[in-house]
Amino acid sequence: MSRGIERAATWMYRGVWGVLTKWFRVPEHPPDLPVVAGETLQKFRPSPGFLSYLKLQYWISVVVFTLVVSVLWTVLSLTFPVAGLFLIPVAVAVIIAPALVLYLAMYLRYDTTWYVLSRRSLRIRSGIWEIHEATITFENIQNVTVESGPIERFFKIGNVIVDTAGGGQTKTAHGQESSNLHRGEIAGVSNGEEIRQMILSRLMKSRTAGLGDESFEHHAGWSPGHITVLREIRDLLQVSTH
Amino acid sequence: MEDSTVVTFNAREIERPDPSLLKYYIIMALLTGPGFVVLFLPMFFKYETLKYRFDDDGMSMSWGILFRREIYLTYRRIQDIHLTRNIIQRWLGLATVSIQTASGSSTPEMSVEGILEADALRDFLYTKMRGAREHHEEAAAPELPHDEALVLLREIRDLLKSRAAGESRT
Repeated sequence: MSRGIERAATWMYRGVWGVLTKWFRVPEHPPDLPVVAGETLQKFRPSPGFLSYLKLQYWISVVVFTLVVSVLWTVLSLTFPVAGLFLIPVAVAVIIAPALVLYLAMYLRYDTTWYVLSRRSLRIRSGIWEIHEATITFENIQNVTVESGPIERFFKIGNVIVDTAGGGQTKTAHGQESSNLHRGEIAGVSNGEEIRQMILSRLMKSRTAGLGDESFEHHAGWSPGHITVLREIRDLLQVSTH
Repeated sequence: MEDSTVVTFNAREIERPDPSLLKYYIIMALLTGPGFVVLFLPMFFKYETLKYRFDDDGMSMSWGILFRREIYLTYRRIQDIHLTRNIIQRWLGLATVSIQTASGSSTPEMSVEGILEADALRDFLYTKMRGAREHHEEAAAPELPHDEALVLLREIRDLLKSRAAGESRT
């Protein structure tokens, strides 16, 4: 029975996915990055633990919402018993419709999120209605944060956040932080520490501060040409003083 | 005419946004309903006056009729590149390429709109950006042609040489 439901759900999901790629032009393939010959890209999605985490969040909100609606309905039907009877289908619809949409949105969010890492940079794609792709080179990264909450740790996932110089986080009217464009978030990965180490090791090799400055090291110091001429000058002076 | 399957992308050829940007602006203004009149006029003028220029070191965009605005930034200063496509832009084949430098503003320094080859443009900017390539200039130029220090040292040596020659003669 449950297998039948599962099969129907996958079939339906594929249908939705087909509509999305065809009519809503959601890209089917993960993003690409220009690479040097012989270089391979690491392309991955959030770990399956992230999906479980999203599902838990989803069920908690569904349960809370259902409770709120049923309490409202109980209060209403106690005061107006007839109206309460008529409102049963409405209440059920109010619970089920958003629940279905949110469930679908959760899966779509998981399936449309992609992280691409090359040796020099990373690209993050996210979003369904507005597809957002951020490209950041490791050389420009200022700091790397790995964070995870207690529930995220239970699912063995974490978020890797990379920041570039600049910033200026804006707060919206509701006090929420709006998306900061000087930041890339690799959310819901199981190997967060590994990714951080990889990015940091690339950062250490870089000799610049990541602010658009060039490395001028090859201009400093003496080149072999300088040294030969300097030796000649010394020898000439030695000869003339003797 | 170029073969349509192998179109080589050249950013320097981009000067004006694609006409579908105007369509996009019209749709966006219509979606606001009564706000159409207020919103559409500035959008229309922005489209009409929008100009891009890509050269070897940087890029500039300018727009505006009464209040003109021109932004110039060098490729090397780019911190991160963002490409966003909402559903209407995807239908029209458009995208917004937002480019950020290390300044403090939370809005992007430059939002390039109305480019059909947005992916190619982004990859072009990416290759020009810092850190996208190894520093192979060190190996390529071990001795610069106009090395002032070396020229000066050679002059000193030659002066010393002539002086030593003069001393030994007397």
